[in-house]
Amino acid sequence: MKNVLRLLSLILGLAVILAWTVSSQTSDNSLEKIKKRGYLLWGSDAEGGAPYAFPNPKDPSRLIGFEVDIAEAIAKELGVKAKQSQNAWDSLIPALERGDFDMAMNGIEITEQREAKVLFSIPYYIYTEQLVVRKEETSIKDINGIKGKKVGTLSGAVAQDILMNIGGVEVKVYSGQVEPYEDLALGRLDAVLLDLPIAAYYAKPNPKLKYAGSPVGEGFYGIAMRKGDEQFKKKIDEILSKLLRTGELKKIYDKWNMWNEAQAKLFESIKGASGYVGLEESKKAPLYTFLPNLLKGSGITIIISVVSMALAIILGLVLTILRLYGRPPLSALAAAYIEIYRGTPLLIQLYILYYGLPNIGISLSPLMAAFIGLGMNYAAYEAELYRAGINAVPKGQMEAALSLGMTQSLAVRRVILPQALKIALPGVTNDFIALFKDSSLVSVIAMVELTKTYSILAATTLRFFELGMIVALLYFAMSYPLSLFARKLEKKLSNKK
Amino acid sequence: MIKVRDLHKNYGEHHLFKGINLDIDKGEVVVFIGPSGSGKSTFLRCINGLEYFQKGEINVGDIELHSINRLMPDKKDFDTIRRIRLKVGMVFQQFNLFPHMTVLENITESPEKVLGIGRDKAVENAVALLKRINLEKKVNSYPDELSGGEQQRVAIARALAMKPEAMLFDEPTSSLDPEMVGEVLSVIKELVDEGMTTLIATHEMDFAREVADRVVVFDQGEIVETGRPEEIFTSPKTERTKGFLSRILKRSIM
Repeated sequence: MKNVLRLLSLILGLAVILAWTVSSQTSDNSLEKIKKRGYLLWGSDAEGGAPYAFPNPKDPSRLIGFEVDIAEAIAKELGVKAKQSQNAWDSLIPALERGDFDMAMNGIEITEQREAKVLFSIPYYIYTEQLVVRKEETSIKDINGIKGKKVGTLSGAVAQDILMNIGGVEVKVYSGQVEPYEDLALGRLDAVLLDLPIAAYYAKPNPKLKYAGSPVGEGFYGIAMRKGDEQFKKKIDEILSKLLRTGELKKIYDKWNMWNEAQAKLFESIKGASGYVGLEESKKAPLYTFLPNLLKGSGITIIISVVSMALAIILGLVLTILRLYGRPPLSALAAAYIEIYRGTPLLIQLYILYYGLPNIGISLSPLMAAFIGLGMNYAAYEAELYRAGINAVPKGQMEAALSLGMTQSLAVRRVILPQALKIALPGVTNDFIALFKDSSLVSVIAMVELTKTYSILAATTLRFFELGMIVALLYFAMSYPLSLFARKLEKKLSNKK
Repeated sequence: MIKVRDLHKNYGEHHLFKGINLDIDKGEVVVFIGPSGSGKSTFLRCINGLEYFQKGEINVGDIELHSINRLMPDKKDFDTIRRIRLKVGMVFQQFNLFPHMTVLENITESPEKVLGIGRDKAVENAVALLKRINLEKKVNSYPDELSGGEQQRVAIARALAMKPEAMLFDEPTSSLDPEMVGEVLSVIKELVDEGMTTLIATHEMDFAREVADRVVVFDQGEIVETGRPEEIFTSPKTERTKGFLSRILKRSIM
């Protein structure tokens, strides 16, 4: 028991050190910091996929996409390297505000609401919205035909606003841009409205789908930066203008076949040569090319699970002891903690911890937030398991210990807990296995663990099935040895007391 | 050595003790008899601080225990109770040995951790006690490997290892199979013969008659009669004692 506790606290200590060393930084002069750091940190969501920023099918550990090219061009002008920071698309802005990266660039449309929160660069691309329907669809000719229909789009995108404004449309929002087209092809949707570059990459090559009408709406993609980061914005604007004048930007759009008439407003019109990269190729790439990424994701899943569980086991014990033996204010607080943490969703707790706390000046690194978020949540469940264990120890045990002159704390430590923990053990190991799977929730706070790695890769390659089987297998390979170990431990404990 | 003054105890609405007074001298052997639920066990548990009481006071040697606030006992109260427990050992009906410790560890745990005597000394004492109760072969057994009688003898040794000045036995043979009652009673008898101040709540009337200096009869939370065993068993003064004795003697004949 003592050794286990010692080991747990060692793991926790290491984790704290690890988490602080990768802790995030917040300051307003990004320009100076980038130079000092030697690289430009830009946020985007690789799960959003092609053609913006997505894993290279030939080497999935590297990202490609037109925004990767733009980021590299900007970094080159700044005299540094570019480095992408992975983040869920709909929380890119909060993550930028909390200082996770210098700028966010991921098809972020310049809108009034967003301008209230962040600084935007001059536009780097003019997007339009393209309606897509099934090949055999005849009733929907263009945007005017979608009233009363089920139309899919991306959560938080401008297309969503357009659909809402039309009225009478049943809008289905997705967090990824691949899934709406999948659902459309399967007949779960009647149409999909999304930015043209997305439609061009995911819908156009799909033989089951077709464009309906010409693009509607028109807006600008801009690079988002923190409010107050004026100098940095000025520099980025200068660089974008330069890339525009020299034709560098146009070259990038040519490469990704993203030129269209709308861009004429930004550029001289030059015919773009075609040449898709990616989709067809990545559909054929052998599975082992994805393995290094998946194994890395598994490693992160293991680290997060082990450290969080260690935290939960220790914190849970403290909570139980306070609840059962603490004086009134403390015992009530412990009870309240347990009820609140058990009674609210883990997802909300993670959001508050990661995106909410920076508002009051506490900014945790993603890894730290993952440890604490999962650890604090599971602590509530462990506490209840311990409490059940303690209640299962006969009352006479405590009385006998007290009658021998032991203090209450000595009796708890030497007599009650050793018996209670043995009773609680099967539940605790069961929770550990559950935690392995729950750890996938931390992808919302920018941790790329196994499940997130899967959804990024699957979104690019559309190989949901094969990759899904591999990922399921990896999870099983992690949790099954654990349940075997748990069974062995229980057996050992019941043989020798 | 033990003085009880005006002891009141209620369980919510139920008023069990309405002012009990009792003095016990050093070396005296007092046996408590009476029907189940009459309060004899609760009385012993009050002396050891395992039950709170609402009014009155209990003296053990020079330590005074007053009625204490049950919800918020302060540190001083806990300390007083603990000092009393160090003077008074207790043996329970259900033995209450620690199942995760060996026989030896059960006995050495408190002397080591509470009295702070060294490991070697504690083991030496424990082995001597086990020899006395003829269980030295079970040193490394776990409680669930012992019979009920053996467990209760170990529980007595465990209490004695703390070198108490008095011993409380709360129905020590009530959960035993009949053939094991004798071995436990003979250990208690030995203690009594050595002059240990002893309080026993029991239904073993023959044993009471044999060892008691004084018999106390409880009924419905009241002491209805006290006296020498031959007086109580041959010429009880109150109807309640007579009724109780005739009921229990009839049962033992059947």
